[in-house]
Amino acid sequence: MKFHWFAEVTYPDLPADFPQRHDSSWVDIPASLADPRRVGEVYRMFVRLMVQADRWGFDGLAVNEHHQTSFAMTPSPNLLAASLASMTERAAILVIGDSLALYNPPTRVAEELAYLDCLSDGRVIAGFVFGTPMDSTFSYGVPPVELRDRVNEARELVLRAWREPEPFAFNGRYTKLRYVNVWPRPIQQPPPIWVPGSGSVETWDLVTDNDYCYGHLSFSGLRAARPVVEGYWDHVASRGGNLNPHRMAFTQICCVAPTDADAERLYADAVRYFYTHNPQAARFLAPPGYHTPATMVAQFARGNAGLSAEDRRRAASGEMSFWEYDEKGYIVAGTPERVRQRLRELAVDLRVGQLIATLHMGDLAEEVAAMNTELFGREVIPYLRDLWADEEDRWTPMASQRRVAAAASAPAAASAPAMPGGGGA
Amino acid sequence: MSTLELVELELDGARVRALDSGGVPGSDAAPLLYLHDAEHHPGPAPFLEALAERRRVIAPEYPGYGASEGGERIAELSDLVLYLRRLAGGLDAAPLDVVGHGLGGMVGAELAIWCPQLVRRLVLVGAYGLWLDDVPVPDPYTMSPDERRRAQWHDAGAAPEQEPMLAVPGVDDEHARAVLRAQNLAMSTKFLWPLPERGTVRRLHALEAPVLVVHGEADGLVPPAYAEAWAAAVPQGRVELMVGAAHLPMLERPTDFVAVVERFLS
Repeated sequence: MKFHWFAEVTYPDLPADFPQRHDSSWVDIPASLADPRRVGEVYRMFVRLMVQADRWGFDGLAVNEHHQTSFAMTPSPNLLAASLASMTERAAILVIGDSLALYNPPTRVAEELAYLDCLSDGRVIAGFVFGTPMDSTFSYGVPPVELRDRVNEARELVLRAWREPEPFAFNGRYTKLRYVNVWPRPIQQPPPIWVPGSGSVETWDLVTDNDYCYGHLSFSGLRAARPVVEGYWDHVASRGGNLNPHRMAFTQICCVAPTDADAERLYADAVRYFYTHNPQAARFLAPPGYHTPATMVAQFARGNAGLSAEDRRRAASGEMSFWEYDEKGYIVAGTPERVRQRLRELAVDLRVGQLIATLHMGDLAEEVAAMNTELFGREVIPYLRDLWADEEDRWTPMASQRRVAAAASAPAAASAPAMPGGGGA
Repeated sequence: MSTLELVELELDGARVRALDSGGVPGSDAAPLLYLHDAEHHPGPAPFLEALAERRRVIAPEYPGYGASEGGERIAELSDLVLYLRRLAGGLDAAPLDVVGHGLGGMVGAELAIWCPQLVRRLVLVGAYGLWLDDVPVPDPYTMSPDERRRAQWHDAGAAPEQEPMLAVPGVDDEHARAVLRAQNLAMSTKFLWPLPERGTVRRLHALEAPVLVVHGEADGLVPPAYAEAWAAAVPQGRVELMVGAAHLPMLERPTDFVAVVERFLS
């Protein structure tokens, strides 16, 4: 089983009454709410945390793309990835991913991912995303009904640009280029490809037919995810696809602490900030054409299976207690032993081979996130390495697999992590 | 008694639907082509029936809307214009008077620009297609049902529970209606997203047909400032502002609407 360090680069200083005053943290949220100097501090903090994660044995460092939002201030994941590629040694650089429809021309993605693969010595995972409606259709203006076509065409262009030895002409519907001849080329031919989705059957077909890694990147927890992930695996099986668990990535917020009481004390406020300060307005969630009729029918059939509308409302309004977030699967919190056990159950249950562990959330202090990272790397990951160990993993770069394994077998040099907040021994 | 009949036509291998009233005996009035707005075809609404008393009225449902096939072939405005040219040719109905509502106004203007021999007179009703920086067109895709209602009706309280629309066989529950609505609006995004402007203004100097701009004084989808903008941009245009109406004057003030259109066409 593989573990990738991840966090949404969230603006941490939104006012307490933000959720009452604004119905959306995306698209039209006032830019005046953020101090650019503070944003810079946040960026530097995440680079430090991810460099640390590289030392603590994580298999990958995940970066993502969102636009016009305080939720994730990462308009270009490739920029953060470039910092990490030059400052880390072992972990994969998991770009999850580039919003293919938003690069003009999309050969930009072929170039930048190749740059990252060269810089990191072959550690890049190429994630391609459609982008949320807020990102791709509202912030970047792509007609929702064209988005899937545009992404597919761009993906074909990028893959061909990496593959073809000679310059070629590309006559797409959305991109027309006389000379495609990308410099540099990636070290990996090609990098592993991951495509996250939100339950669209068309995406399931895409990843199944191309043997990509699928990703369910939601923060609504295990209960909400179960019908989607089970639906995905059923779909793969019915299509005769590859059931290797390393083809399934799953995000999970984890809050590790020396004791369960420490976990609540250290993380409760940040978890509440994360869930309450990211309102998603209904008006931006379902532009017509973003979901095909087939996917809409499938969504109606699934309904609210797994998580009630009332639970979703309570989670977003902050009415849930810390341990209720945990019980409903939004977070996995507590001692390393408890977290290990819960993650093992989750991984087996959902057939997940790539866990994207979200170890910073909301306005969490850096020292708590650092402790989380260390405890997770030292006290959780090694105990779950046996999971799916007999299944090959072609979706994590060979270079990072070799380096992470070599470091893990080297003598440990770590001491007990310091606990922030004067929590005692 | 309804004179408008639902007909199915085959065009380039796709089956499409239209309402067609057929010719009126003794009338030499030009046939009227009605082009619907972004949400749906209005069906055999009273204003269409009234217009059909004096002339043949043809109201096609665009490809990809309702039960009409061929939406995948329509990628942009020019595809829809070409489709309408072919449709009109097949009906042997030219020259036509064209009444276009909302999105249909934008399409009708392009049809008149590109096929001047096809369009005798043009009526634009709450038409999309222009952009004024000082008066941005509100985003129709982010409105709640209630906001949309208030934007479309002058008296939203008196609006019918459900707007008249051309029925689609098999669409009889809430989920099916939601899928149909998304399908229709998804088609409209090909012409209206992210802004309802596709360069028509550059071509309007070549619009030879006389244009009547009918606009509800309280139109919340296409602000009334656009009525003047249309009239100013075409060689022969004038505005009829309708009181007590918003984006749906033909539904909210059908008698006045028909009278205004009749005056212009005769």
